[in-house]
Amino acid sequence: MTTAAGAWRERLAGYAFVGPFLAVYAAVLVVPLIMGLYISLNNADLFGRREWVGLANYVQAMGDPVLHQALGNTLVLALLIVPPLTAIALMLALALNRPGRLAAVLRGVFFSSLVLSVTIVTLIWRFILVPDAGLIAEGLEALGRPPIPFLSDPDLVIPAIAVTTLWWSLGFPIMLLLAGLQQVPGDIYEAAALDGASRWTVLRRITLPAIRRTLLLVVMLQTAAQLQIFGQAQLLTGGGPGGASRTIVLYIFEVSFGRWELGYATAIAELLFGMILTLTLLQYWLVTRHEEPRP
Amino acid sequence: MSGLKLIDVSKSYGATRVLDGVSLAIAPREFIAFLGPSGSGKSTLLRIIAGLESLDAGEVRLGGARIDTLAPGARGIAMVFQHYALYPHMTVRENMAFGLVNAHVPKDEIARRIAQAAEILEITAQLDKKPAQMSGGQRQRVAIGRAIVKQPQLFLLDEPLSNLDAALRNRTRVELAQLRNRVDAALIMVTHDQAEAMTLADRIVIINDRRIQQVGTPAEVYARPANAFVARFVGSPAMAMLPATLDGAEGGRVQARLAEGTMLRTAVPTRGLEQGAAVEIGLRPEHVTLAAPGAEGLPARVELVERLGDRTFIYARLAGGPEIIAHAPGFSQVRPGDEVRLAIDAAAAHIFAADGTAHHPDARP
Amino acid sequence: MNAPGSSASRLSPLATVLLLIGAAIMLAPMLWTLLLSFKSNAALMADSGAALSPPWTLENYAAILQGSLTMQWLVNSLIVATGATVGVLVLSSLAGYGFARLEFPFRRTLFVVVLLGLAVPEQAVILPRHQLFAWAGLHNSYPGLILPSLTGSFGVFFMTQYFRALPKELDEAALLDGASRFTLFWKVLLPLTIPAQATLGVFTFLAAWNDYWWPLISATTSDYFTLTVGLASAQMNYAQTSGLGFLMAQAVFASIPILIVYIAFQKQIVRAMAGAAVR
Repeated sequence: MTTAAGAWRERLAGYAFVGPFLAVYAAVLVVPLIMGLYISLNNADLFGRREWVGLANYVQAMGDPVLHQALGNTLVLALLIVPPLTAIALMLALALNRPGRLAAVLRGVFFSSLVLSVTIVTLIWRFILVPDAGLIAEGLEALGRPPIPFLSDPDLVIPAIAVTTLWWSLGFPIMLLLAGLQQVPGDIYEAAALDGASRWTVLRRITLPAIRRTLLLVVMLQTAAQLQIFGQAQLLTGGGPGGASRTIVLYIFEVSFGRWELGYATAIAELLFGMILTLTLLQYWLVTRHEEPRP
Repeated sequence: MSGLKLIDVSKSYGATRVLDGVSLAIAPREFIAFLGPSGSGKSTLLRIIAGLESLDAGEVRLGGARIDTLAPGARGIAMVFQHYALYPHMTVRENMAFGLVNAHVPKDEIARRIAQAAEILEITAQLDKKPAQMSGGQRQRVAIGRAIVKQPQLFLLDEPLSNLDAALRNRTRVELAQLRNRVDAALIMVTHDQAEAMTLADRIVIINDRRIQQVGTPAEVYARPANAFVARFVGSPAMAMLPATLDGAEGGRVQARLAEGTMLRTAVPTRGLEQGAAVEIGLRPEHVTLAAPGAEGLPARVELVERLGDRTFIYARLAGGPEIIAHAPGFSQVRPGDEVRLAIDAAAAHIFAADGTAHHPDARP
Repeated sequence: MNAPGSSASRLSPLATVLLLIGAAIMLAPMLWTLLLSFKSNAALMADSGAALSPPWTLENYAAILQGSLTMQWLVNSLIVATGATVGVLVLSSLAGYGFARLEFPFRRTLFVVVLLGLAVPEQAVILPRHQLFAWAGLHNSYPGLILPSLTGSFGVFFMTQYFRALPKELDEAALLDGASRFTLFWKVLLPLTIPAQATLGVFTFLAAWNDYWWPLISATTSDYFTLTVGLASAQMNYAQTSGLGFLMAQAVFASIPILIVYIAFQKQIVRAMAGAAVR
């Protein structure tokens, strides 16, 4: 502003405006974040006991067979979910990216599941999958076949969670891809038409490259999200049977609120954080390394 | 009550100097134009006066009191922005009242001032509408009304005519002239259009290259430009500049030889000019005509012909390269590519020395 | 004319059929739940296939409305989600204006610090936060449930971008009109951000309503459960109670508010989610 006094007043005003948010941010996010790092280096319980152990928790995590199983489960889940989710969402986005009432209604239908909470979703799907009174079981009964124990067969639990999550998560990627598709300038398609390109060629050589960044964003966000699956595992299967569907975050929950080992749980959480960060950065680097720098 | 005074104002953005020791004094009810090309610093100067930019050195005084230390709203200044800056979610009435409400002016006084201004500007019917519902011309009048009701000592107008199409521009020019008569305040208008400045302002402040090049009435600035820049900037079409060498004098007036040999007997006094110096001769189109058939004249090749109806401007190039502009009455038959001869009224020529000074011909008896 | 980027061609019949089948698959689970909720518990105990045939009854919903804990959970969810929404809108608007329009030392650094918060996943902070709140005595309370939502960097980022996009001339005109910084914010700029507020508000409300992990560990007494957590406990207790119809009715009941918000604010939701992609 114009004068020394005016500039000083502006500075004060600046802090006054951003202050409230920053205060809450610092107290409720930054402090716990730093605390977490500290706690992970301790043996701690939920009641405030602390005992410095350095990196012992991390070492323990490396050798923990239950964690290894949970890691395996989580990775399998992510692999079962992210590629099909991206592919289906892409197909749906392409199909629904047109004017007209039917498309609008269908878009509404495919988005609708994402506003439901995880507890509602698991409730709904429990009574689809369960052999006793489930929708699928009813269908199989009508066909004269025996019911399939989706939620208690160790080989079926992970696919069951995957399908549930797919149904739940479809809306958000579709939304992102639709937004990305709509940003592609229409005249590219017109030029392609004049160049006599077939629909498949247009898709492969024009549309997909144009939404590359959006696709990357979808994959990155979904990978991060599915590596953190918690509610579905806890509520549908409890992580069982025998840990066959225990995810990492579910394990963290069990360690902290079941075994009261806060230090160990926090260490696992930090490891998971590191893994997610690395994976998403890796995905980003892999896709953008060949691109020219953005203007 | 004294008017606006700028005392040695300087401003830099980082390492770039934008204004360099600018000083100026304006009388209380003067209409001043800040005229200059883009990037000359004229808008910066306006914003410094308004308080929207800080200055690095110098003072700004209004009515005798120092205002550069005050907040923008406390300076007794109102501004009409180039794009009007009306508050989109408020009605016209609320737009006009906003400043007065902030200044704690009593409600009935606010209503009175708004009604008065609305009547003058013929926007009474729009008072309860929002800016989006109005045309560009109406919006500008609201912006002016918002400034009027504050009863400032000084009005600042930022490129008021640039946004407008030709028809609206003429109308607005008239309105600005009328505004000037209705308010008891000084007005400063920033423009890059020399025609606007010439028609509306009492005095023009020509700004270029971070400095004031000249301050004067339109007539002064036109007839006696202080340097080559002003000479080229003011007047349309521009003054032609021909390289020449000073070669002798007669009766106390210099003679100049053009590059291709022709000798011009000017009416410029020899004072301050050196023999043999390289200078530029300035000639306005009205002093260059087509030579009568058979008469002597400078040979030139026509490049462009501009027929305006009542006269024609002929853009030509002399042998040796320099461009020159001549005029002819009515619809001239000259065409691009023609070789013509030009008659020059040497007594009207200006001389611009290499050090930037301007030397003007003595007035004709 | 078609919207830019949209497919001009018509869908083949095969594609249309597949789409409709897909839509049916999307809707079937919700319909099944709805049907189950209209059967009495007894009828379902006897024959689980009964849902597909009459008689249907409203007794489950009556039981909910007649003062089961579900109503308390609904109230809690409303309080927490509304509190979170109001809090986020206020804090994000104030901070957004500050970052966008005011100059102060460390402004850029602080903004980057806020942006980094977008990269932090829940599990990195939730356990220590639990400890912190236990020490501060904030568990089993409304502030305890609302506060974590207020740290969302997305809101600040979103509002800062929006304020930045407003023309600076408005600020200048207001300053020349003698407005203080706060009057500028409150009377001139904030009213112009209403579309952004709607978008951010709906987005925050949805996230707060559906939040699971934090309310799960912070509200341990059932009278502070939100609907989301309460439903989970009901689900886990299902084996004991075997009130399938009632359970499904709870699920439907819990979905109604959120579906109402969805239908009412569909445009805002799409814009908010898609806005995250347009970086």
